Amino acid sequence: MLEIPNIAIPMYVFLFVFGAYMLFYVIYNLFNIYHLIRYGVYGFGLYLIVTIFTGGTIILVAGSTFLLMEYDWTLSISSENVPEFYNEDLFPAL
Amino acid sequence: MMRLDHLPNQRPDEHVILFLRRHWFALLAIVAAFILLVGVPLAVGLYFEETVMDWLAHPVIGPLLVILGSIYFLSIWLFAFLEFTDYYLDTWIITNERIINIEQEGLFNRTASELDLAAVQDTTAEIRGILQTVFTYGQVYVQTAGEKGRFHFKNIDNPEHVKELVTRLVEEDKRRLSALGAGGHGKVKSVIK
Repeated sequence: MLEIPNIAIPMYVFLFVFGAYMLFYVIYNLFNIYHLIRYGVYGFGLYLIVTIFTGGTIILVAGSTFLLMEYDWTLSISSENVPEFYNEDLFPAL
Repeated sequence: MMRLDHLPNQRPDEHVILFLRRHWFALLAIVAAFILLVGVPLAVGLYFEETVMDWLAHPVIGPLLVILGSIYFLSIWLFAFLEFTDYYLDTWIITNERIINIEQEGLFNRTASELDLAAVQDTTAEIRGILQTVFTYGQVYVQTAGEKGRFHFKNIDNPEHVKELVTRLVEEDKRRLSALGAGGHGKVKSVIK
């Protein structure tokens, strides 16, 4: 009988994926802000726009970080421990 | 940063008559898309609040959901702002001597071109459809004599007024150049170039 190897994926791997996305996001953001400051028309409106965008980004990133900090990232998922995590209440419609 | 009182290659006695961006309706489309893309998942989340809370409390599903949610909402924020930047940096400046057309296409393509008013042959205003008629916005095409083709003012407010203004400024500029020409041809050539 074919045996399926037990592969364990640590949860922090997903944190690396998120980190890679954040890197892309920050670089793209900086490009965008650079364009606005470099080519935008001088005035209060420009500063307001850059402040709103930066503020929104800070709120979103801070919110995500606080939410993510509450979890245990040392946990591993493997085919063996999947039943441990399964709870019938999770998918009530199934 | 561009200053309207200090334009690129500004000529002596040149001043800005009109500064144009696309009509606010273009901005409304971005805001509507943003509200829809943010509002729908939030409304679904609130409707199934209990289930979502159970998922968030789960040691495996919870972090994955937070990561996916963060990526989603950050992407929407970035997308909305990129669209806004595209709107904000697309500008047309009409001075008493020339028209400057600055177009931002995405984040990495930018075209800036200018046209002497004296080279303008024909100006056309176009309002098409119900929305453009109700909100009084549309296109203005400025046709030149040279090979450059035409300038296109996209979805600007009150195109009829802009057309009339450009036509009047062209006439005034032509009169100014003929007056200069009577005084000295060398000066005229340098202005037209």
